[in-house]
Amino acid sequence: MADVKNLHPLEVKLLRHVNPGEDITAQRIVDELGYKIGQCNQAFSWLSAKSCLEEKSRKTVVSYELTDTGREQAEKGTPAVRIFNLLCEEEALGLPEIAERLGLEKSDIGSAYGSLSKAGITAMNAENKAYLKSRELPEQALQTHELLKKGLMGPLEESTLTQTEKALMAGVSKKRGAANSPYKVTEREDVVYTLTEEGEKTKEELLKANITGEEIGVLTPAMLASGTWKNAQFRPYGLDAPVSRLIPGRHNPYGDYIRWVKDKLTSLGFEEFDGPLVENEFWNGDALFMPQFHSARDIHDVYYVKNPVHCREIEEPWLSNVAATHENGGNTGSRGWNYSFDHEFTRRQILRSQGTVLSAHQLTKAKVPGKYFGVVRCFRYDQVDATHGADFYQTEGIVIGKDVNLKNLLGLLKMFATEIAGAEEVKYVPGYFPFTEPSIEVHIKHPVLGWFELGGSGIFRPEVTKPLGIDEPVLAWGLGIDRMALMHLGLNDLRELFSPNIESVRTRRGN
Amino acid sequence: MPKMETTEKLFWSLLGREYTDEELEYVFPRAKAELDGHDRENGVIKIELNDTNRPDLWSPMGVARLLRNYENPQPLHYDFFSSKNYTADSEGRTFIIGNRAKEVREFSLGFAADGKTVDEDILLTLIQSQEKLCFNFGRKRKTIAMGIYRNDLIKYPVHYDGVDPDATHFVPLHMEEDLTLRQMCEKHPKGIEYGYIVKDKPVFPYLSDDNGDALSFPPVINSARIGAVEVGDNNLFVEMSGPILRDLILCASIMACDMADLGFTIRPIRVIFPEETEFGKEITIPYYFQDSQSCTLEQIRTVLGEDMTIEDAQEALARMGVYSVTDKDRVFITVPEYRNDFLHPVDVVEDVMIGYGLENFEPVIPKDFTIGRLSPAEELSRKVKDLLVGMGFQEMMYNYLGSKAEYLDNMNVDTSKAIFIANPMTENFEVVRPSVLPSLLKSESISASAVYPHRIFEVGKIAYLDPLDNSGTTTRNSLGFMLADPANAGFNDINSMINTLMYFLRKEYTLSVPENETRFIPGRCAQINVGGKAVGVFGEVHPQVLENWGCSVPAAVCEIDLDSLL
Repeated sequence: MADVKNLHPLEVKLLRHVNPGEDITAQRIVDELGYKIGQCNQAFSWLSAKSCLEEKSRKTVVSYELTDTGREQAEKGTPAVRIFNLLCEEEALGLPEIAERLGLEKSDIGSAYGSLSKAGITAMNAENKAYLKSRELPEQALQTHELLKKGLMGPLEESTLTQTEKALMAGVSKKRGAANSPYKVTEREDVVYTLTEEGEKTKEELLKANITGEEIGVLTPAMLASGTWKNAQFRPYGLDAPVSRLIPGRHNPYGDYIRWVKDKLTSLGFEEFDGPLVENEFWNGDALFMPQFHSARDIHDVYYVKNPVHCREIEEPWLSNVAATHENGGNTGSRGWNYSFDHEFTRRQILRSQGTVLSAHQLTKAKVPGKYFGVVRCFRYDQVDATHGADFYQTEGIVIGKDVNLKNLLGLLKMFATEIAGAEEVKYVPGYFPFTEPSIEVHIKHPVLGWFELGGSGIFRPEVTKPLGIDEPVLAWGLGIDRMALMHLGLNDLRELFSPNIESVRTRRGN
Repeated sequence: MPKMETTEKLFWSLLGREYTDEELEYVFPRAKAELDGHDRENGVIKIELNDTNRPDLWSPMGVARLLRNYENPQPLHYDFFSSKNYTADSEGRTFIIGNRAKEVREFSLGFAADGKTVDEDILLTLIQSQEKLCFNFGRKRKTIAMGIYRNDLIKYPVHYDGVDPDATHFVPLHMEEDLTLRQMCEKHPKGIEYGYIVKDKPVFPYLSDDNGDALSFPPVINSARIGAVEVGDNNLFVEMSGPILRDLILCASIMACDMADLGFTIRPIRVIFPEETEFGKEITIPYYFQDSQSCTLEQIRTVLGEDMTIEDAQEALARMGVYSVTDKDRVFITVPEYRNDFLHPVDVVEDVMIGYGLENFEPVIPKDFTIGRLSPAEELSRKVKDLLVGMGFQEMMYNYLGSKAEYLDNMNVDTSKAIFIANPMTENFEVVRPSVLPSLLKSESISASAVYPHRIFEVGKIAYLDPLDNSGTTTRNSLGFMLADPANAGFNDINSMINTLMYFLRKEYTLSVPENETRFIPGRCAQINVGGKAVGVFGEVHPQVLENWGCSVPAAVCEIDLDSLL
């Protein structure tokens, strides 16, 4: 059964007013409850949908209503009657003159005069002026006028007309009332409803709950000022009524996740770094002791900047230090890569391909001890698909300290695994990165994702740190948080993280 | 990362016993390898290798050698190596390098192997090793190309030289037509793939025997006769060519050790160069060239954080196949013949770590106290984001690469300030985003069905050309926001939002009429100035821009350079 609290006052009042077995018609509700016809139809439709009312019978009622033209003719007479009356007073008049005197359109005069002369009442004299041949109006003209006057009382239902009136009506009415015809015809469906069993029960509920439909829908400042609220009853709200949609201002849930990771890292004592999107081969690779011929530095791995192709200069002493390290180890204790360092290639500009670039930059300005991190956008030459983006975030950082070592690196990874990834188990395996030695990969058992590689890490090679002015050991780490972000957002396609689709972003939720 | 396959049959025989998957998963990390799959039905094991500086591990023989030794450390004796102080007997096999070779591809060298019949397993394994070494270590044959030939058919000495590409011809492998070297570059699939390495040189590399019979056109293709090794052959000649001598010698050593492990007898060859090399004018291959490396116990302890003894370290190294002697607290290692990755003492330390077992190191939290801090840009961006969200905006996040059409053409702006990529993969990703606004309009263009009003924003990076910077570019933190609505998305709406934003950011600002602004309706846009400097722009988006994007609802947008507000 319908929740009586969800009923509209129009429904409530109607239900309370009617009894089982009675005929319920729009006319009755309009008369007895003072509803407007629209309100009445609304209430019928709502209550029928709730099975409180059912249709008993339905018939089409045709009625006739005066148009503005019809009203004027009813009051002043039809054009034919008026022409007749005018000609009674005057000898003979030209048609334009008649139109002017009566204030009527020439076309109306024309057709009215036509009907009069056809009936033999009028005729034209030699001067082309109309005069009366007979001083008696035809019956039909008088009856038509009477029919119009009858309409002044209100719409005429077809069923109340005599046979003669019906015949006359056909001549003066048009469906959907063209403006120039005196009557317009309307058809309406007259439906008779009765209360159903469901309706009866609902009515009883209404009585029991003492809901009258007179309850107040809105508390107004005026009521508060006047105090009328004190005796007022308020319309209760149904709790299962559908709610309307609200579109709030919101943070992007992926952005929220990154914010959370940044907060976590700062809480662990890390300071944030950042840098430009356009880098050069020096910082992106050379400073990280990746040989200039390294396969990951190929044209098929990084994006080159078209213009300017090269940066103006690489800062000293870093350039000389790094070049020497590549060629013969410089002062790092390494034998180097044993090739001739290309000073032009090193200035070539690219889009940052790894977050570690910023760790290298940071080494030149780092404090000891120090912990630094960045969540930074990187670019790879990859076919874009569900697991590869043209650009993506990497989370990277370093720890510098006089005594940091492998065991600290493992400790750090364990801390990330539990604090950031919520890992249940942690496993370390030897890894390989050109810029760290030793290198460690950390695999974790995630409560939802199972075992996966959380990140890569290691101790920066002396060939990386010494040329950049750091003698202390530096732990370097990178975390792949995108998989966890996808899981957090219930997504499985990396491209979705940067979705431009407004509706999709609006409705996306974090876990 | 290189990936390889091996049959169970071959792998178990190399390992000396069968391993369970659990055992493989446990021991593979010692070789920086991962079990990539095990197809029991066909008896195939797939392995992924993670160390790009250890090409010796890119074969079942290399991985098995390391694992075998890890379980039962025993010094290996490959007695076919020559060195600075010892020259093995090459039994009259010589390999002569001509003096025009350096004009195209300077070095070539090789060795022979017999005593084992090539079966299908061995053939596939050798081809796989050849591919991995040439593709990954040899940079797609640029620095190493390898050929294996039928030694029975070769009349020594073998000759390698630069030759006239139009006068030299033979029938290449997998073809029946006799082609010149230049024709091979145009017609043979391998020529089309690798011909570019040599095709602009005055001479092309050519390998032939003393009868003048062709062995190959390195680095492109073998000959169809001597260069067609098949199942049943038991006498092979292995050759490699390239511009870096050390890489070739190492590669030959790896192949020789692998083939010895497969049961071949390695037959050295004396290679005679036209000029002195760093190892002399004549080198007998395989050749041990590696320098010794050492590290101190102190270095091991400092890096690993473990108070191990020098014996612990030596034992750990031995498990990695690295044998050492000590002098006081210094460990001197003998670099294995098939390795050349000990650049620095830390490389020795890493082998100690793996040999010792990573599971035997206790994780310890670093004890230094440091203060965590967000960057000033992040602090400001959070403040701005919170204000925008408070004004009912949805935060968006976008890619930073896009097309010229979207970032520039659609926006009615020219290319003069945009950073283009020289090697775009597709034109969809060829420009770095010079503004947040095109990203916002892209959203609008695909979101007509989302309930209006649309209020979206992003705080993100943009980059454009800037002649004042060393890089000629600048990267900025930028705020962009957009209001799109059929009825209320005008200048005044955005204006009051900017007023609110600036009030809470405590920034005094003025508005002025922007110059050369083509993105907005003229007279319905403004430049935002702080301290007399332009920091942003806003206005009603020009109908032409909306039409370019296919947007059917009016929009007003704003972009503010946050770095200028710091």
